Amino acid sequence: MSLGNYLEAGLNRALSRFKIALYLWLIISVVALIAITPIGSLVRSNLGHLTLSQDLSMPFELNIVEVLISNQNIFAPYTVFLIAIVLISMLLFIFLKGGLFGRMLNQDNRINISNFLADGSRYFWKFLLSLIIFLPFLFIFFLLFRLLAAPLEAWSDGAVTEWPVIISANLKLLLFVLLLAAFKLLLDLVRIIIVTESKKVWPAYCLAIKFLSRHFFSFWGLYLLLGLVVALICLGWLLVGQQISSNHLAGILISIILAQAFLMFRLLARQLFIGVEFSYYSKRKDKV
Amino acid sequence: MDGRIVLKKKPDTLKAVLLMFWFICLVFLKSWAGQAEDKPLRYDLEVELLPEVRMIQARGTIVWSNLSQDYVPDIQLHLYWNAFKNELSTMAKEARRETMYKRYQVRKDDWGYLKITSLTTVDGYDLMPTAAFISPDEPPNPDDQTVLKVDLPEPLAPGQSIILKLQFQAKVPQNGIRVGCYKDGFFISQWFPKPGVYEEGKGWNCHQYHLNSEFFADFADFKVRITVPQNLVVGACGEEIERIDDPVTGKTTYTFEQQDIHDFAWTASPRFIKIERWFRAEDQVSPEEYQTIAELLELTPEEIKLPDVRMILLIEKQHQHQAERHFKALMAAIKYYGLWYGPYPYRTITMVDPPFRTGSGGMEYPTLFTAGTSVILDKKVLSPEQVIVHEFGHNYWYGLVANNEFEEAWLDEGINTYSTAKVLEAAYGPSCLPVRFNGLPLNWLLKTPAIYDWQLGRLISGPVAKLDPIVKESWKFYNSVSYSLNVYYRAATCLQTLERYLGEKSWAKIMRTYHMRYRFKHPTIEDFIQVVKEVSAKDLNWFFKEFFFKAKDFDYAIGAVETRIKPEKFLGIFDDLPTKHSPQTKTNQDETTEKAGEKIYQTSVTLRRYGQARLGPEVTIKLKVEFEDGSLEWREWDGQSRWVRFNFEKPVKMRQAVLDPEAIWLVDTNLSNNYYALKGSREKISGLTGDFLWLMQSLLLSVFNLL
Repeated sequence: MSLGNYLEAGLNRALSRFKIALYLWLIISVVALIAITPIGSLVRSNLGHLTLSQDLSMPFELNIVEVLISNQNIFAPYTVFLIAIVLISMLLFIFLKGGLFGRMLNQDNRINISNFLADGSRYFWKFLLSLIIFLPFLFIFFLLFRLLAAPLEAWSDGAVTEWPVIISANLKLLLFVLLLAAFKLLLDLVRIIIVTESKKVWPAYCLAIKFLSRHFFSFWGLYLLLGLVVALICLGWLLVGQQISSNHLAGILISIILAQAFLMFRLLARQLFIGVEFSYYSKRKDKV
Repeated sequence: MDGRIVLKKKPDTLKAVLLMFWFICLVFLKSWAGQAEDKPLRYDLEVELLPEVRMIQARGTIVWSNLSQDYVPDIQLHLYWNAFKNELSTMAKEARRETMYKRYQVRKDDWGYLKITSLTTVDGYDLMPTAAFISPDEPPNPDDQTVLKVDLPEPLAPGQSIILKLQFQAKVPQNGIRVGCYKDGFFISQWFPKPGVYEEGKGWNCHQYHLNSEFFADFADFKVRITVPQNLVVGACGEEIERIDDPVTGKTTYTFEQQDIHDFAWTASPRFIKIERWFRAEDQVSPEEYQTIAELLELTPEEIKLPDVRMILLIEKQHQHQAERHFKALMAAIKYYGLWYGPYPYRTITMVDPPFRTGSGGMEYPTLFTAGTSVILDKKVLSPEQVIVHEFGHNYWYGLVANNEFEEAWLDEGINTYSTAKVLEAAYGPSCLPVRFNGLPLNWLLKTPAIYDWQLGRLISGPVAKLDPIVKESWKFYNSVSYSLNVYYRAATCLQTLERYLGEKSWAKIMRTYHMRYRFKHPTIEDFIQVVKEVSAKDLNWFFKEFFFKAKDFDYAIGAVETRIKPEKFLGIFDDLPTKHSPQTKTNQDETTEKAGEKIYQTSVTLRRYGQARLGPEVTIKLKVEFEDGSLEWREWDGQSRWVRFNFEKPVKMRQAVLDPEAIWLVDTNLSNNYYALKGSREKISGLTGDFLWLMQSLLLSVFNLL
């Protein structure tokens, strides 16, 4: 099976289940709205009773900064509030991940909110355990990263111009992304095995490691290629967003719609990753 | 290598006599217009750099004259590099106390020092036995070695001079502040024993080296011979008058001279490219510009004519492609500072792109300054330009008008920050805020607002208004952040406010008068206040008291706005007798344009004084109220009470109210509460809500993807 076939299969699977992205977008948006409500209302109430005068002696962005500086005493409680939101969201997201993988990998491509949530609750504990078991792998990831980044740091430390500093910093970033992708691949694969083969977590890890020991580089390459395409599309999206003027209502509306479409694209991209990984795994698993 | 240096021996007595003769000639033959009148110092120094061991070895003479009416029993010298000698120096202790961020961290081999190995009078009297380190500032630090007190054989009578012969060696601190070296690149400042400033009746003004302070010294004539390995390119204060290559030793000796400066710094690096250009006043300033500025200052165009200046750029090879950008900024600075405050009086200016990792960027010295840039820059971000204009500007504020930076740092930093913003606005317009990641500019990807320097300055300095006053000894500020935000930005914001309050013309004359009157002198804030009072013919003591001498915030605001329909009938018992408070009686503040059968809207605007600082006598703040039919109402408030309420009755609703609509009181720490609109554009707020939401969604989505 060629690269194109994996991508096609993954894409078909993702698009036929696009409703999942819609559910996720909706839930994430609700959480985000709750998270921004305190700061949003603070800014609104400080800026001329919901609207803004035309006579400004500063650019609008500085007015916002000024409001935040003037109310800096709310930062500490707001940070606590945000941390709480993120922590609660993390549990919620593990639940949602169950729904995402469950619906993405199910043969039945009928998607509705009840079977999405049912999958979430079905896989919640297994996914939570898979994440906990992943923590030692994260430790190995950081260790490996430090080890591989050491020569770059030495090169940067001995530099007599800025170039080695800039190049090594960006190479380190690239190294970080490549390594993280490799480790993330493992977690995704474990979850695919949990869902498709109804395995428990430990056996799923064993099977995933065994699979990766045979197919790691081609699987990683596929993942990175997909990642590159998604990153380029994101970059293009941001560049297009830059061109839209936010001085008029139409421009602002287009910006908001584009921003939300961008989020939907990222969610669909996540589905695409799962679809492609599944397609690759299902074709190659017999060769383990 | 043992670090010793062999200097050519010269007949000391003859040299001393010649030196004395030259000094007397300089004191009595003041042939150069605009030079320092009472110059108590002359330096004649020879220094050799030994890069392999990070050492400098030096010798020479310092002539100090007692221009006071006191008998002076001792001399006090700054030995600044001893601040980097150990962890017990005042500066190191202050750095450790800093909790917000650490500016000063050194490793074991990074320490530096300055050691006088010999100090005698010209006739050979050894002064070292009486030499002792002192710490004049509170709290005393007996471990600090940055001020050396030396007793003279006998008190120096008024008008007498003393010639000090000295030899010293110093190790260049690897991670110093404003000085440093990295591999074979060196930036050498504060490297020689420098006498403090003797103040008549008060004694020596010679402070320790503090974390949050710069310098104070007397005007002097310098002659400095610098010997370095031949592969190093050298730049220094003043003019290079001689260069001798020694093929035997492989070393080169440069001689630099400059009169009427109060410090001397130099730099050496093999990676410098030296480029020279001329600032030709004729090409840079048009007759119309001369005419405009002359009218503003009430001078003739001839009186403000600028001289040509030789500009020397020492730029690292990696930044060579930015040379023209550097020169353009420097020419703008020479032009505007010259036109507004007075002509640049020296023949050269040396601009140094500091050697990589020497920690010496963005620093000023007379006739020389360091800039600072990156290999990749965004055109929309005025990053090197801001530094170049600011550091050149210090030649005016610090270099020529040489206030005490230990005690009243705002007099140079605040005035110069204000001036920098004005030059950048005139020469470039607004600049985008920089966005960088891993050394790469990202402004092409992420849009940032174009703002003026002063707008950002007033914004960030607001929070420290209640922490410290602007006028305070540098080392007594709460921390480095409070020091820099108060001294640089809050002071500049106060000056911006004064300019708007007094008017452009009056302010321009104030600044020029202050500069020209105190060129080559050491003014204090009292001198500044006096000039403001004299030129503006206004007593602004209250302004300086509220904003410079006290830690108070200034925040006037629109506290509340209420609009309601006026009732057509009032309930209750009304007899026919007129009363003082009868509802039919109109107060002075009420405005009624009532017509029969028309709805009348009662609008009340409550102004609040949230800050502690208040307006001075006979000063008011304006309120502009705009109604839906386009009509305007103006009110003035003296701002003394905590609040005031203005009432209006109109057949239309209010559209918006703006306090201080002419934006005079920029010193207001929160301008956002100066606006109130009942109706208006919601686009910005909607866009902002969309941005907040998107940021939070993106954050949550990233967390989701990682789990």
